[in-house]
Amino acid sequence: MDFFGTILWPIKWVIEAILVGFHWLFTALGLDPAAGLTWVLSIVGLVLIVRAALIPIFVRQIKSQRKMLEVAPELKKIQDKYRGKKDQFSREAMQRETMALYQRAGTNPLASCLPLLVQMPIFFSLFSVLNEARQDKAGVGLLTQELADQYTNATLFGVAPLKYSLVDAFNYGNVAVAVIAIVMIVVMTASQFYTQLQIMAKNQTPEMKNSPMYRQQRILLYILPVVFLFSGLAFPIGVMFYWLTSNIWTMVQQFLVIRNMPTPGSEAALAREARLAKRNRNRIAVDADSLAETASEEPAKPATTQRQQPVGKNRAKKQGGSRR
Amino acid sequence: MTSVGSFLLLLPRNICVAILRGYRAVISPLYGDVCRYYPSCSAYAMGAIQQHGAVKGIALGSWRIMRCHPWARGGIDDVPESRRHHDHYHLTRFGFVAAGHGKG
Repeated sequence: MDFFGTILWPIKWVIEAILVGFHWLFTALGLDPAAGLTWVLSIVGLVLIVRAALIPIFVRQIKSQRKMLEVAPELKKIQDKYRGKKDQFSREAMQRETMALYQRAGTNPLASCLPLLVQMPIFFSLFSVLNEARQDKAGVGLLTQELADQYTNATLFGVAPLKYSLVDAFNYGNVAVAVIAIVMIVVMTASQFYTQLQIMAKNQTPEMKNSPMYRQQRILLYILPVVFLFSGLAFPIGVMFYWLTSNIWTMVQQFLVIRNMPTPGSEAALAREARLAKRNRNRIAVDADSLAETASEEPAKPATTQRQQPVGKNRAKKQGGSRR
Repeated sequence: MTSVGSFLLLLPRNICVAILRGYRAVISPLYGDVCRYYPSCSAYAMGAIQQHGAVKGIALGSWRIMRCHPWARGGIDDVPESRRHHDHYHLTRFGFVAAGHGKG
Protein backbone atom coordinates (compact mmCIF):
# COMPACT_ATOMS: atom_id res chain seq x y z
CA MET A 1 0.00 0.00 0.00
CA ASP A 2 1.38 3.38 -0.94
CA PHE A 3 1.83 6.38 1.34
CA PHE A 4 -1.46 8.10 0.52
CA GLY A 5 -3.30 4.79 0.64
CA THR A 6 -2.13 4.31 4.22
CA ILE A 7 -3.22 7.79 5.28
CA LEU A 8 -6.58 7.50 3.55
CA TRP A 9 -7.25 3.96 4.75
CA PRO A 10 -9.50 4.89 7.72
CA ILE A 11 -11.45 7.43 5.68
CA LYS A 12 -11.87 4.89 2.88
CA TRP A 13 -13.14 2.34 5.36
CA VAL A 14 -15.80 4.74 6.66
CA ILE A 15 -16.81 5.80 3.18
CA GLU A 16 -17.19 2.21 2.09
CA ALA A 17 -19.27 1.48 5.17
CA ILE A 18 -21.62 4.39 4.40
CA LEU A 19 -21.85 3.48 0.71
CA VAL A 20 -22.53 -0.16 1.43
CA GLY A 21 -25.01 0.82 4.14
CA PHE A 22 -27.02 2.96 1.74
CA HIS A 23 -26.74 0.29 -0.93
CA TRP A 24 -28.13 -2.25 1.50
CA LEU A 25 -30.93 0.16 2.48
CA PHE A 26 -31.99 0.86 -1.10
CA THR A 27 -31.82 -2.82 -1.96
CA ALA A 28 -34.03 -3.55 1.06
CA LEU A 29 -36.44 -0.92 -0.25
CA GLY A 30 -36.77 -2.94 -3.42
CA LEU A 31 -34.25 -1.43 -5.83
CA ASP A 32 -32.13 -3.72 -7.97
CA PRO A 33 -28.73 -4.13 -6.21
CA ALA A 34 -26.90 -4.17 -9.53
CA ALA A 35 -28.68 -1.13 -11.00
CA GLY A 36 -26.78 2.11 -11.61
CA LEU A 37 -29.52 4.14 -9.93
CA THR A 38 -29.05 2.25 -6.65
CA TRP A 39 -25.36 3.13 -6.65
CA VAL A 40 -25.98 6.74 -7.62
CA LEU A 41 -28.47 7.10 -4.76
CA SER A 42 -25.92 5.54 -2.41
CA ILE A 43 -23.37 8.14 -3.50
CA VAL A 44 -25.93 10.90 -2.98
CA GLY A 45 -26.62 9.45 0.48
CA LEU A 46 -22.92 9.60 1.23
CA VAL A 47 -22.84 13.30 0.36
CA LEU A 48 -25.82 13.98 2.58
CA ILE A 49 -24.12 12.23 5.50
CA VAL A 50 -20.84 14.08 4.99
CA ARG A 51 -22.46 17.47 4.63
CA ALA A 52 -24.87 16.85 7.49
CA ALA A 53 -21.89 16.00 9.69
CA LEU A 54 -20.56 19.48 8.92
CA ILE A 55 -23.80 21.16 10.01
CA PRO A 56 -22.66 21.76 13.63
CA ILE A 57 -19.86 23.89 12.20
CA PHE A 58 -22.44 25.73 10.19
CA VAL A 59 -24.64 26.30 13.25
CA ARG A 60 -21.62 27.58 15.11
CA GLN A 61 -21.21 30.14 12.34
CA ILE A 62 -24.83 31.24 12.67
CA LYS A 63 -24.38 31.79 16.40
CA SER A 64 -21.31 33.97 15.96
CA GLN A 65 -23.13 35.87 13.22
CA ARG A 66 -25.75 36.88 15.76
CA LYS A 67 -23.01 38.29 17.97
CA MET A 68 -21.85 40.30 14.99
CA LEU A 69 -24.73 42.71 15.52
CA GLU A 70 -23.02 43.91 18.68
CA VAL A 71 -19.83 44.86 16.89
CA ALA A 72 -21.59 46.22 13.79
CA PRO A 73 -21.17 49.92 14.73
CA GLU A 74 -17.43 49.52 15.31
CA LEU A 75 -17.13 47.52 12.12
CA LYS A 76 -18.84 50.34 10.29
CA LYS A 77 -16.30 52.77 11.75
CA ILE A 78 -13.42 50.72 10.38
CA GLN A 79 -15.11 50.44 7.01
CA ASP A 80 -15.63 54.21 6.90
CA LYS A 81 -12.02 54.84 7.84
CA TYR A 82 -10.81 52.89 4.83
CA ARG A 83 -13.54 53.93 2.44
CA GLY A 84 -12.14 54.59 -1.01
CA LYS A 85 -8.66 53.34 -0.16
CA LYS A 86 -7.93 50.58 -2.58
CA ASP A 87 -4.20 50.02 -2.28
CA GLN A 88 -2.89 46.78 -0.89
CA PHE A 89 -1.52 48.25 2.34
CA SER A 90 -4.79 49.92 3.27
CA ARG A 91 -6.67 46.69 2.57
CA GLU A 92 -4.30 44.73 4.75
CA ALA A 93 -4.47 47.30 7.53
CA MET A 94 -8.25 47.19 7.34
CA GLN A 95 -8.32 43.40 7.53
CA ARG A 96 -5.97 43.51 10.49
CA GLU A 97 -8.14 46.02 12.36
CA THR A 98 -11.29 44.08 11.59
CA MET A 99 -9.71 40.92 12.90
CA ALA A 100 -8.51 42.72 16.03
CA LEU A 101 -12.08 43.89 16.58
CA TYR A 102 -13.43 40.34 16.34
CA GLN A 103 -10.74 39.21 18.73
CA ARG A 104 -11.64 41.86 21.31
CA ALA A 105 -15.33 41.10 20.98
CA GLY A 106 -14.75 37.36 21.25
CA THR A 107 -16.69 36.66 18.09
CA ASN A 108 -15.75 35.61 14.60
CA PRO A 109 -18.11 35.32 11.64
CA LEU A 110 -15.70 33.36 9.48
CA ALA A 111 -16.01 29.65 8.91
CA SER A 112 -12.34 28.67 9.45
CA CYS A 113 -10.14 26.67 7.11
CA LEU A 114 -10.39 23.17 8.51
CA PRO A 115 -13.84 22.19 7.14
CA LEU A 116 -12.62 22.88 3.61
CA LEU A 117 -9.50 20.83 4.07
CA VAL A 118 -11.43 17.99 5.69
CA GLN A 119 -13.51 17.55 2.58
CA MET A 120 -10.53 17.11 0.29
CA PRO A 121 -9.34 13.75 1.70
CA ILE A 122 -12.97 12.58 1.72
CA PHE A 123 -13.28 13.33 -1.97
CA PHE A 124 -9.95 11.66 -2.76
CA SER A 125 -10.95 8.63 -0.72
CA LEU A 126 -14.25 8.33 -2.52
CA PHE A 127 -12.47 8.64 -5.83
CA SER A 128 -10.06 5.93 -4.82
CA VAL A 129 -12.82 3.64 -3.48
CA LEU A 130 -14.87 3.95 -6.66
CA ASN A 131 -11.79 3.71 -8.83
CA GLU A 132 -10.83 0.41 -7.26
CA ALA A 133 -14.39 -0.85 -7.42
CA ARG A 134 -14.56 -0.13 -11.13
CA GLN A 135 -11.42 -2.18 -11.64
CA ASP A 136 -13.40 -4.97 -10.03
CA LYS A 137 -11.27 -4.97 -6.87
CA ALA A 138 -12.80 -5.43 -3.43
CA GLY A 139 -12.44 -2.48 -1.07
CA VAL A 140 -10.53 -2.18 2.22
CA GLY A 141 -13.54 -2.97 4.38
CA LEU A 142 -17.19 -3.71 3.78
CA LEU A 143 -17.10 -3.36 0.00
CA THR A 144 -16.91 -7.06 -0.85
CA GLN A 145 -15.88 -8.59 -4.14
CA GLU A 146 -19.55 -9.25 -4.93
CA LEU A 147 -20.45 -5.58 -4.43
CA ALA A 148 -17.42 -4.50 -6.46
CA ASP A 149 -18.65 -6.77 -9.28
CA GLN A 150 -22.05 -5.14 -9.10
CA TYR A 151 -20.55 -1.65 -9.21
CA THR A 152 -18.28 -2.52 -12.13
CA ASN A 153 -21.24 -3.72 -14.14
CA ALA A 154 -23.71 -1.08 -12.93
CA THR A 155 -25.25 1.05 -15.65
CA LEU A 156 -27.42 4.09 -15.13
CA PHE A 157 -30.78 3.71 -16.90
CA GLY A 158 -29.37 0.49 -18.36
CA VAL A 159 -27.19 2.35 -20.88
CA ALA A 160 -24.56 4.45 -19.09
CA PRO A 161 -21.92 2.52 -17.11
CA LEU A 162 -21.01 4.44 -13.93
CA LYS A 163 -17.37 3.59 -14.34
CA TYR A 164 -17.03 5.53 -17.60
CA SER A 165 -15.71 9.07 -17.76
CA LEU A 166 -16.25 11.40 -20.68
CA VAL A 167 -12.99 10.22 -22.20
CA ASP A 168 -14.16 6.60 -21.98
CA ALA A 169 -17.45 7.65 -23.53
CA PHE A 170 -15.61 9.00 -26.56
CA ASN A 171 -13.30 5.98 -26.73
CA TYR A 172 -16.09 3.43 -26.62
CA GLY A 173 -18.58 5.56 -28.51
CA ASN A 174 -21.07 5.58 -25.65
CA VAL A 175 -23.46 8.43 -26.40
CA ALA A 176 -25.51 8.04 -23.19
CA VAL A 177 -22.47 8.55 -20.92
CA ALA A 178 -21.36 11.53 -23.00
CA VAL A 179 -24.78 13.15 -22.73
CA ILE A 180 -25.08 12.50 -18.97
CA ALA A 181 -21.54 13.72 -18.31
CA ILE A 182 -22.05 16.90 -20.32
CA VAL A 183 -25.38 17.63 -18.64
CA MET A 184 -23.70 17.16 -15.25
CA ILE A 185 -20.83 19.46 -16.20
CA VAL A 186 -23.33 22.12 -17.24
CA VAL A 187 -25.35 21.76 -14.01
CA MET A 188 -22.19 21.80 -11.87
CA THR A 189 -20.88 24.87 -13.61
CA ALA A 190 -24.22 26.59 -13.26
CA SER A 191 -24.52 25.82 -9.55
CA GLN A 192 -20.93 26.85 -8.77
CA PHE A 193 -21.42 29.96 -10.88
CA TYR A 194 -24.56 30.87 -8.99
CA THR A 195 -22.94 30.24 -5.61
CA GLN A 196 -19.98 32.44 -6.50
CA LEU A 197 -22.19 35.10 -7.97
CA GLN A 198 -24.31 35.18 -4.81
CA ILE A 199 -21.25 35.64 -2.63
CA MET A 200 -19.70 38.22 -4.89
CA ALA A 201 -22.67 40.25 -5.97
CA LYS A 202 -24.69 40.26 -2.80
CA ASN A 203 -22.62 39.38 0.22
CA GLN A 204 -19.73 41.78 -0.13
CA THR A 205 -19.38 45.34 1.01
CA PRO A 206 -18.68 48.02 -1.59
CA GLU A 207 -15.12 48.24 -0.21
CA MET A 208 -14.54 44.55 -0.81
CA LYS A 209 -15.85 44.94 -4.33
CA ASN A 210 -13.10 47.42 -5.07
CA SER A 211 -10.31 45.15 -3.90
CA PRO A 212 -7.97 43.33 -6.29
CA MET A 213 -9.13 40.06 -4.71
CA TYR A 214 -12.61 40.72 -6.05
CA ARG A 215 -11.35 41.23 -9.57
CA GLN A 216 -9.41 37.99 -9.28
CA GLN A 217 -12.57 36.22 -8.19
CA ARG A 218 -14.43 37.57 -11.19
CA ILE A 219 -11.83 36.29 -13.60
CA LEU A 220 -12.00 32.93 -11.90
CA LEU A 221 -15.72 32.80 -12.44
CA TYR A 222 -15.06 32.43 -16.13
CA ILE A 223 -12.29 29.88 -15.76
CA LEU A 224 -14.46 27.54 -13.69
CA PRO A 225 -16.42 25.96 -16.54
CA VAL A 226 -13.12 24.94 -18.12
CA VAL A 227 -11.99 23.36 -14.83
CA PHE A 228 -15.22 21.40 -14.61
CA LEU A 229 -14.94 20.31 -18.22
CA PHE A 230 -11.49 18.87 -17.59
CA SER A 231 -12.55 17.14 -14.40
CA GLY A 232 -15.56 15.79 -16.29
CA LEU A 233 -13.17 14.32 -18.84
CA ALA A 234 -11.14 12.61 -16.17
CA PHE A 235 -13.63 11.52 -13.48
CA PRO A 236 -16.09 8.65 -14.00
CA ILE A 237 -19.70 9.76 -13.80
CA GLY A 238 -20.11 7.86 -10.52
CA VAL A 239 -17.60 10.19 -8.85
CA MET A 240 -19.12 13.21 -10.53
CA PHE A 241 -22.43 12.52 -8.83
CA TYR A 242 -20.69 13.13 -5.51
CA TRP A 243 -19.39 16.47 -6.70
CA LEU A 244 -22.69 17.47 -8.25
CA THR A 245 -24.73 16.75 -5.11
CA SER A 246 -22.16 18.49 -2.94
CA ASN A 247 -22.26 21.57 -5.18
CA ILE A 248 -26.02 21.76 -4.99
CA TRP A 249 -25.92 21.43 -1.21
CA THR A 250 -23.41 24.28 -1.02
CA MET A 251 -25.56 26.42 -3.27
CA VAL A 252 -28.68 25.98 -1.12
CA GLN A 253 -26.74 26.46 2.12
CA GLN A 254 -25.10 29.59 0.76
CA PHE A 255 -28.47 30.93 -0.32
CA LEU A 256 -29.86 30.46 3.19
CA VAL A 257 -26.82 32.01 4.83
CA ILE A 258 -26.79 35.05 2.58
CA ARG A 259 -30.52 35.50 2.99
CA ASN A 260 -30.56 35.23 6.75
CA MET A 261 -27.08 36.20 7.87
CA PRO A 262 -25.58 38.58 5.34
CA THR A 263 -22.27 40.37 5.79
CA PRO A 264 -22.99 43.72 7.48
CA GLY A 265 -22.87 46.55 4.96
CA SER A 266 -23.40 44.34 1.92
CA GLU A 267 -26.21 44.49 -0.58
CA ALA A 268 -27.72 41.35 0.92
CA ALA A 269 -27.75 43.01 4.35
CA LEU A 270 -29.61 46.00 2.93
CA ALA A 271 -32.07 43.68 1.22
CA ARG A 272 -32.62 41.83 4.49
CA GLU A 273 -33.21 45.08 6.39
CA ALA A 274 -35.69 46.13 3.73
CA ARG A 275 -37.45 42.77 4.03
CA LEU A 276 -37.63 43.02 7.81
CA ALA A 277 -38.81 46.62 7.65
CA LYS A 278 -41.48 45.62 5.18
CA ARG A 279 -42.60 42.80 7.42
CA ASN A 280 -42.80 45.20 10.37
CA ARG A 281 -44.75 47.67 8.30
CA ASN A 282 -47.15 44.94 7.26
CA ARG A 283 -47.65 43.93 10.87
CA ILE A 284 -48.42 47.50 11.85
CA ALA A 285 -50.73 47.77 8.88
CA VAL A 286 -52.64 44.71 9.99
CA ASP A 287 -52.86 46.01 13.55
CA ALA A 288 -54.16 49.39 12.57
CA ASP A 289 -56.18 48.96 9.43
CA SER A 290 -57.56 52.47 9.46
CA LEU A 291 -54.07 53.94 9.65
CA ALA A 292 -53.05 51.94 6.63
CA GLU A 293 -56.10 53.25 4.78
CA THR A 294 -55.13 56.86 5.21
CA ALA A 295 -51.49 56.15 4.48
CA SER A 296 -52.26 54.29 1.27
CA GLU A 297 -51.01 56.11 -1.75
CA GLU A 298 -53.06 56.81 -4.85
CA PRO A 299 -53.03 53.74 -7.06
CA ALA A 300 -50.42 53.61 -9.80
CA LYS A 301 -51.59 54.81 -13.14
CA PRO A 302 -52.25 51.95 -15.52
CA ALA A 303 -49.56 51.79 -18.19
CA THR A 304 -50.85 52.87 -21.53
CA THR A 305 -49.24 52.95 -24.90
CA GLN A 306 -51.76 55.38 -26.21
CA ARG A 307 -50.48 58.85 -26.97
CA GLN A 308 -51.83 61.61 -24.72
CA GLN A 309 -53.49 64.40 -26.56
CA PRO A 310 -51.56 67.61 -25.85
CA VAL A 311 -53.62 70.00 -23.79
CA GLY A 312 -53.44 73.78 -23.99
CA LYS A 313 -52.33 75.70 -20.89
CA ASN A 314 -55.76 77.18 -20.23
CA ARG A 315 -57.59 73.91 -20.69
CA ALA A 316 -55.17 72.14 -18.41
CA LYS A 317 -55.96 74.66 -15.68
CA LYS A 318 -59.68 74.04 -16.19
CA GLN A 319 -59.17 70.28 -15.90
CA GLY A 320 -57.67 70.77 -12.48
CA GLY A 321 -54.00 70.77 -13.46
CA SER A 322 -53.32 67.58 -11.63
CA ARG A 323 -51.49 66.07 -14.58
CA ARG A 324 -47.84 65.02 -14.29
CA MET B 1 29.95 30.35 -5.86
CA THR B 2 28.07 31.75 -2.89
CA SER B 3 25.23 32.85 -5.16
CA VAL B 4 24.85 29.30 -6.50
CA GLY B 5 24.99 28.04 -2.93
CA SER B 6 22.35 30.42 -1.69
CA PHE B 7 20.19 29.70 -4.75
CA LEU B 8 20.27 25.99 -3.93
CA LEU B 9 19.74 26.68 -0.25
CA LEU B 10 16.71 28.85 -0.98
CA LEU B 11 15.33 26.62 -3.75
CA PRO B 12 13.02 24.47 -1.57
CA ARG B 13 11.35 27.46 0.05
CA ASN B 14 11.02 29.25 -3.28
CA ILE B 15 9.34 26.22 -4.84
CA CYS B 16 6.88 26.27 -1.93
CA VAL B 17 6.35 30.00 -2.45
CA ALA B 18 5.54 29.44 -6.13
CA ILE B 19 3.04 26.69 -5.24
CA LEU B 20 1.38 28.86 -2.59
CA ARG B 21 1.19 31.81 -4.98
CA GLY B 22 -0.60 29.53 -7.44
CA TYR B 23 -2.97 28.32 -4.73
CA ARG B 24 -3.73 31.85 -3.60
CA ALA B 25 -4.38 32.98 -7.16
CA VAL B 26 -6.55 30.10 -8.33
CA ILE B 27 -8.05 28.03 -5.51
CA SER B 28 -8.26 30.45 -2.59
CA PRO B 29 -10.69 32.88 -4.27
CA LEU B 30 -13.10 29.98 -4.82
CA TYR B 31 -13.90 29.92 -1.14
CA GLY B 32 -13.90 33.64 -0.46
CA ASP B 33 -12.91 34.76 3.05
CA VAL B 34 -13.07 31.85 5.45
CA CYS B 35 -10.01 32.07 7.68
CA ARG B 36 -10.57 33.12 11.26
CA TYR B 37 -7.12 34.63 11.55
CA TYR B 38 -5.16 37.52 10.15
CA PRO B 39 -3.06 36.85 8.14
CA SER B 40 -5.08 34.04 6.57
CA CYS B 41 -3.72 30.49 6.76
CA SER B 42 -2.24 30.54 3.28
CA ALA B 43 -0.67 33.97 3.81
CA TYR B 44 0.71 32.76 7.13
CA ALA B 45 2.14 29.61 5.56
CA MET B 46 3.74 31.71 2.83
CA GLY B 47 5.28 34.10 5.34
CA ALA B 48 6.46 31.24 7.53
CA ILE B 49 8.13 29.47 4.61
CA GLN B 50 9.72 32.70 3.40
CA GLN B 51 11.13 33.48 6.80
CA HIS B 52 11.91 30.10 8.26
CA GLY B 53 12.49 27.88 5.23
CA ALA B 54 10.53 24.97 3.80
CA VAL B 55 10.74 22.52 6.72
CA LYS B 56 10.00 24.81 9.65
CA GLY B 57 7.66 26.92 7.52
CA ILE B 58 5.53 23.93 6.52
CA ALA B 59 5.44 22.82 10.16
CA LEU B 60 4.33 26.29 11.29
CA GLY B 61 1.76 26.48 8.48
CA SER B 62 0.34 23.04 9.28
CA TRP B 63 0.10 23.92 12.96
CA ARG B 64 -1.78 27.07 12.00
CA ILE B 65 -4.27 25.17 9.83
CA MET B 66 -4.87 22.76 12.69
CA ARG B 67 -5.68 25.74 14.88
CA CYS B 68 -8.06 27.29 12.32
CA HIS B 69 -11.13 25.29 13.33
CA PRO B 70 -14.65 26.58 14.03
CA TRP B 71 -14.12 26.64 17.77
CA ALA B 72 -10.94 28.66 17.61
CA ARG B 73 -11.05 32.25 18.79
CA GLY B 74 -9.17 33.52 15.75
CA GLY B 75 -7.81 37.03 15.53
CA ILE B 76 -4.38 38.41 14.76
CA ASP B 77 -1.67 35.79 14.60
CA ASP B 78 1.54 36.85 12.88
CA VAL B 79 4.41 34.66 11.77
CA PRO B 80 7.15 34.61 14.44
CA GLU B 81 9.95 36.94 13.33
CA SER B 82 13.17 35.42 12.08
CA ARG B 83 16.31 37.34 12.91
CA ARG B 84 18.30 35.40 10.34
CA HIS B 85 15.85 36.17 7.56
CA HIS B 86 15.86 39.84 8.46
CA ASP B 87 19.66 40.06 8.39
CA HIS B 88 20.54 37.93 5.39
CA TYR B 89 17.65 37.79 2.94
CA HIS B 90 15.07 39.91 1.21
CA LEU B 91 11.90 39.25 -0.77
CA THR B 92 11.40 39.89 -4.46
CA ARG B 93 8.18 41.47 -5.69
CA PHE B 94 6.77 38.04 -6.44
CA GLY B 95 7.59 36.83 -2.94
CA PHE B 96 10.65 34.75 -3.69
CA VAL B 97 13.41 34.80 -1.12
CA ALA B 98 16.80 36.08 -2.32
CA ALA B 99 20.13 36.58 -0.61
CA GLY B 100 21.21 40.01 0.65
CA HIS B 101 19.14 42.26 2.85
CA GLY B 102 16.93 44.36 0.57
CA LYS B 103 17.16 48.12 0.33
CA GLY B 104 19.36 47.77 -2.76
